[in-house]
Amino acid sequence: MRILIVEDEPDLLASLAQALREEGYAVDTADNGDDGLFNAEGTDYDAMVLDVMLPGMNGWEILRRLRQTKKTPVLMLTARDQTRDRVKGLDGGADDYVVKPFDLEEVFARLRAIIRRSTNQTTNLREIGNIQIDTAARVVSLHNRPVELTAREYSLVEFLALHRGEVVTRTQLYEHLFDENESSLSNLLDVHVSNVRKKLGAEFIVTRRGHGYCIE
Amino acid sequence: MIFKSIKWRLQLWYGVILVAVLAGFGVMAYQLERGRLWRQVDEDLHRRFAVLTSALHQAHGPENRHRNGHRPEPPPDGMPDDFPPPQDLPLEHFTLPPFAAGWFDTNQPNGFYYLILSPTGTRLAASPNAPAAPRGEVPPARNAPGQEPNNPRPPAPAWTQDGFREIANHTPSDETVVVGCAIEPQRRELKLTAVNLTVMGGLVLLVGLAGGWWLVGRALRPIAEISSTATKISAGDLSQRINTAEAESELGQLAAVLNSTFARLETAFAQQQQFAADAAHELRTPVSVLLTQTQTALTREREAASYRQTVEACQRAAQRMRKLIESLLELARFDAGQEILSRQPFDLARAAAECVELIRPLAEERRVKISTELAPLEITGDAGRLAQVITNLLTNAVQFNQPEGEVRLRLEARDGLAVLEVADTGRGIAPADLPHVFERFYRADPARTGAGNSGLGLSICKAIVEAHGGSIEAANGSGSGAGATFTLRLPVRN
Repeated sequence: MRILIVEDEPDLLASLAQALREEGYAVDTADNGDDGLFNAEGTDYDAMVLDVMLPGMNGWEILRRLRQTKKTPVLMLTARDQTRDRVKGLDGGADDYVVKPFDLEEVFARLRAIIRRSTNQTTNLREIGNIQIDTAARVVSLHNRPVELTAREYSLVEFLALHRGEVVTRTQLYEHLFDENESSLSNLLDVHVSNVRKKLGAEFIVTRRGHGYCIE
Repeated sequence: MIFKSIKWRLQLWYGVILVAVLAGFGVMAYQLERGRLWRQVDEDLHRRFAVLTSALHQAHGPENRHRNGHRPEPPPDGMPDDFPPPQDLPLEHFTLPPFAAGWFDTNQPNGFYYLILSPTGTRLAASPNAPAAPRGEVPPARNAPGQEPNNPRPPAPAWTQDGFREIANHTPSDETVVVGCAIEPQRRELKLTAVNLTVMGGLVLLVGLAGGWWLVGRALRPIAEISSTATKISAGDLSQRINTAEAESELGQLAAVLNSTFARLETAFAQQQQFAADAAHELRTPVSVLLTQTQTALTREREAASYRQTVEACQRAAQRMRKLIESLLELARFDAGQEILSRQPFDLARAAAECVELIRPLAEERRVKISTELAPLEITGDAGRLAQVITNLLTNAVQFNQPEGEVRLRLEARDGLAVLEVADTGRGIAPADLPHVFERFYRADPARTGAGNSGLGLSICKAIVEAHGGSIEAANGSGSGAGATFTLRLPVRN
């Protein structure tokens, strides 16, 4: 899962990015409105955390322009807590709304929720054969026993599971699992796929040569 | 309880005064009427008395004098049977002149009567309806012996006895002449007058009380309205105003004064609320930093360097909050008039030059040139506070400038004021923002929430300058390359 954070307070941006990375997300950041919109339009993010008051273009304007081309789930982050501000944000195309100051747990939960809704899921539990994926606890179980996965490995499993039955290209995987600072030329992806197969069984991820990967 | 109400108290006083006035008038009218009636009776008595004395004088004429002591003839006009035959009437030739014959109601016990007594008290003459003796006590003869006997004297003052009024006097020949009449009709008339006066007074009192009640109610109606409005306002609805239809009256003026007070109260309250909301809003971002930084750090064990970063970020957030709180307190002190300014004479030009030196490193970092044109000018005020203002303006001028830009600081005396101008070559201030730049938490760029910018700097400048009796204003310079210009005007002698 790849997330874009647009926030102008550097310390807040840094800690949010770090926290979300540690949650296993690939995180891109922007500290002003113009960069934020540029990034959001150029990449298919799984979710976006958007501050309202930004230098350059403000959050409402970014949202308005983004909605002309993308359906990226957006979590608005703002210091304004008036009802009319919330209504304005939700009506303007935001998927959810968090008022500063917030707890990280709540931001994580809301992000999971808007991602879940955007992929038409109703629960945090997915079952694929004898493998269970709990997207809230970020735990994968085989035969009801939790399997130790790294954050990146979990993200790979989660993303493929969310697109079950579809062939997911390597480009897509790179876009959603790695942030802009990681080189997509590395064979990191192959290493992760190989590790997941070792832990969950070789048949769990099917390789479609020349196309990508798939969970059937 | 009911007499605590102004309406009732006014009504009570009004009633008491009205009763007193009416009673006074009534008593006076009664007394006047009584006096008039008495005077009339006395006049009638005196007229008859005069006729009687002159008739008596004639009866004493030299041709009649010898007949004294003889039995008199019956009165010429006859005498009814129900009166006892007069006795001891020696004045045989005493007759009333014809024109006065009808003046004595001889056959009416309540009419006018006369009685003439000899010095020894025997009746010399009397009208048939006269009593046997004077009803009152006749004053003793007042003429000293030897006085001119033929000079008639006015009778003694009239007296009232047993429902009759009498006057009496002594003739020169020492007979006593008494004239009297019953005053029953006058008493009846007086009683009627008293009843009339009481009834009329009562009616006037009723009308007066009713009118007073109406007037008091009318006069107090604005008070009721003021009270009901004030009640609503005290219940929290500050938008209520008193209806001032009668703006000319004293209560209308009071209502207008109260309305303007309410308006100021509402504005102040709204400003206070806005200020509190803004202050809370400003604290949200640094608190968010604290929360996310600490929550992230605590999710797992970390290296020392990572903790250090977290602590540093928290420190920055805390510093920002401290600065905000200090600014808020500073403003609150100015608002409450508690900020104590020193009033020392100092050279504003030198203070400004020091500020420039303070800001020069920042300017050099941003490659902004500062040029000064400072005329020595001594003013009285708080040097430290005014330096704070100048530094703040210079910092803004440098920060919002463009690279290779310029800041011009100029100080001169103009119209008895010290005028200090800080002009930059930045982008200037958008016309829509110009009226608001000194408002608390107003930022032309809403995202400029860096640690150095609390949104209160210019508000504090304004508060300091105004506490010195000066003014500060912002404008955009004209011409190419001209940015914003802040002009500070301070009285030279404060």
